[in-house]
Amino acid sequence: MTNKAIGVTKLRAKYSGEKQLIFNDLTLSIPHGQKLLLLGPSGCGKSTLLQIISGIIPGAVQIPLLAEQITKPESWGFVFQDPDTQFCMSYVDEELAFVLENQQIPQEQMKQLIEEALEHVQLHLPKLHTPIAELSQGMKQRLALAAVLLLKPDVVFLDEPSALLDPEGKQYIWETIRSTLAQHTVIVVEHHIDGILDWFDRVVVLNRQGDIIADGHPSHVFAEQKSFLMQEGIWYPNIWEEYFSYQSDSPSLAFRAEATAELQAQPNTSGSQPLLELQNFKIKRGAYSLDVPYAAAQQGDWIAIRGKNGAGKSTLLFALARLLASNGSYRIQGEDVGEDIPPSMSYVFQNPELQFITDRIIDEVTHSLIVKYDKERTEKEQGEHWIKRLFAPKQRKSRIDLQQLTLEASAALEQLQLSVPPDRHPYELSIGQKRRLSVLTALVENRSILLLDEPTFGQDARSTFIMLEWLQQLQASGVTIMMITHDEQIMRRFATQIWHIEHGTLTTCSPAQALYSKEADDEQLTQLVHT
Amino acid sequence: MNSLLNWFTPNKQTWLHRCNPSLKFVALFAIMLFVFFSRAIGLYVGYIICLSIVLWSSSGFPARKVALLHIPILISSLSSGITLTLFGRGNDIIWQWWIIKISHESIHSGMMIGTKSLLIGIISLLLLLTSPPVKLLYSFMQQLRLPAKYAYAFLAGLRLVPYMIEEVQLRRRALRIRRVQADRGFAKIYQMIKLYSIPLIAQAIRRAHRIGIAMEAKQFQQKRTYYYITSFSAYDGIFVCIVLICTAVALIVPELPV
Repeated sequence: MTNKAIGVTKLRAKYSGEKQLIFNDLTLSIPHGQKLLLLGPSGCGKSTLLQIISGIIPGAVQIPLLAEQITKPESWGFVFQDPDTQFCMSYVDEELAFVLENQQIPQEQMKQLIEEALEHVQLHLPKLHTPIAELSQGMKQRLALAAVLLLKPDVVFLDEPSALLDPEGKQYIWETIRSTLAQHTVIVVEHHIDGILDWFDRVVVLNRQGDIIADGHPSHVFAEQKSFLMQEGIWYPNIWEEYFSYQSDSPSLAFRAEATAELQAQPNTSGSQPLLELQNFKIKRGAYSLDVPYAAAQQGDWIAIRGKNGAGKSTLLFALARLLASNGSYRIQGEDVGEDIPPSMSYVFQNPELQFITDRIIDEVTHSLIVKYDKERTEKEQGEHWIKRLFAPKQRKSRIDLQQLTLEASAALEQLQLSVPPDRHPYELSIGQKRRLSVLTALVENRSILLLDEPTFGQDARSTFIMLEWLQQLQASGVTIMMITHDEQIMRRFATQIWHIEHGTLTTCSPAQALYSKEADDEQLTQLVHT
Repeated sequence: MNSLLNWFTPNKQTWLHRCNPSLKFVALFAIMLFVFFSRAIGLYVGYIICLSIVLWSSSGFPARKVALLHIPILISSLSSGITLTLFGRGNDIIWQWWIIKISHESIHSGMMIGTKSLLIGIISLLLLLTSPPVKLLYSFMQQLRLPAKYAYAFLAGLRLVPYMIEEVQLRRRALRIRRVQADRGFAKIYQMIKLYSIPLIAQAIRRAHRIGIAMEAKQFQQKRTYYYITSFSAYDGIFVCIVLICTAVALIVPELPV
């Protein structure tokens, strides 16, 4: 290993086809053995910076780039965010062998090296030739780390290695990172930094223009730059507590207090009949099955659905929206739900792109509005006497005034702080904006049950808080929210009920109970990790 | 997602699996070319019989699966055969009605195209069922000097197929959730192509790009060693002999006085 510092001097770069520079005369030097954490608002170029220092840019990817000097590490490894797009082979041994083949290691030594690498990252598999698809997301990230170790790197780059993992997977991967990369120079981009901060010697904060605005020991940086971090929507320790105290005077939280009071004043008006009720509800899908003995949601409930990656949380939501078949009793407002999607239900997918159906942002919203008015009209017609319906003039869909709809849609976009050019294609938005748009399209449909599949996943603090505020307002107006989430803060601060999926069974409990048992779990887990 | 992969895993490894995949590929491809440029139904039938015996006896798959895989081959062979029989050119007309014209020549060419496509299907099955893609490409790199970048591009692409299948499913659900109502007629076809292809292609491009970067980050090299070393063995001798025997039989059968 060499002890040379790596880094860039006076770096300028921009994305092809854009005018704005991502970096303007950025200088950063990282001495050997340092553990560096890079923070910044989404889209400020943190990941790009990692790729430039490692040499992926301009080695494999070209962007317009100019620098006085770039000192690349002699040997390096890279762990990326998405566990599903890091591997080119289908089996564990083949993937690790791919790394060894690149280094031209003789075939006789490969098996032993692979076994050693897996041992290092604590990945104990029944056999080496295991399909990668059978691993959990957390195990996949540890496999990626094993591949990095086989490269014998001086410097390791981690680009949000735990962003897409459940809390348990997160904890494991960080334990593994700490134990295996103690000697290496490590440069990390990570949003959720609770519990890992003590490992870092240095924090560098970038602003939206790509300039370094803070550089120093974590304890100093977080003490000095708090207001900037909050303003830019960067996660930092205790942000939830501060967000709530900071917001206590603002109307939205007052609104929340009012809403809670209102809900408490009339506890379960429809007490005998829940809005949504499941009894002996079973889903079978190949080898997987999920059993719900009993679960119910009242109007205005905020239900957090939790469980490990792959426990079947999305499967449950699909079944509730009748996109998957199920057995047992499933009622909404006391009526059995048929084969079709319940009219009172909207759904927000995990990947927002799959949900967009038009070429313009504004059209996404107007489509939802058209659907909404269609629904209202059919409901009204059904309420009328059949003779009246028979003689009523047939209305056509296109009768709805498009111009007025467009106005209404832009108002919705504006009201929810999604100030984006409405003529752009939805795919041109940033990840956070896409997610918000997909939630917005579900909101304007104005249905009484809203299903959300991890809506705050991988979002920066600002997007997360904006979305939570929307959802609070909805809840206050009587909408029932059912969301899959891993975020304990959301469970603790917002949920009225927690549905927990484990070993193919769903149990319900109040947030207080859930967090208590969670703490016990955590203790067990830490013991497990340390033994 | 894995069920698809499992379906194509043979129950047992036979001598045919232990043959060198490149050799299999070259030999079977040679037969295919030979068949392609010949015009003799007897030769085709001879090959079909011989290669079917090899396929059914030593593919390592249960007969039920092999039979299932014959369905698309039979459909394509019958449809092309029948089409050519009904509409093919010819003077010696047997039966004619409207645009349908069956002649001795068209029957002959229909049978020829039918048996030919059946034979080509069987040859492909023989190769694909007995050589897993990973082994095949490793062998191509070692024996046929295929540049590593093409081999790995293909292998990484193969990994994406299950994701695409899953995404089509998700997209279908998302469209139902958004209550998309299809237009009618040709407009519907156009609308559906657009609704499915754009998000799926966008997703696939992004995914491919990320995998490419990840492979580059693992210091991908053209010059490399191989985890699976493919070489030649006695099984390859057996395979060459069997191919030669099949060819001999296929050449002799039509000459026999019946």
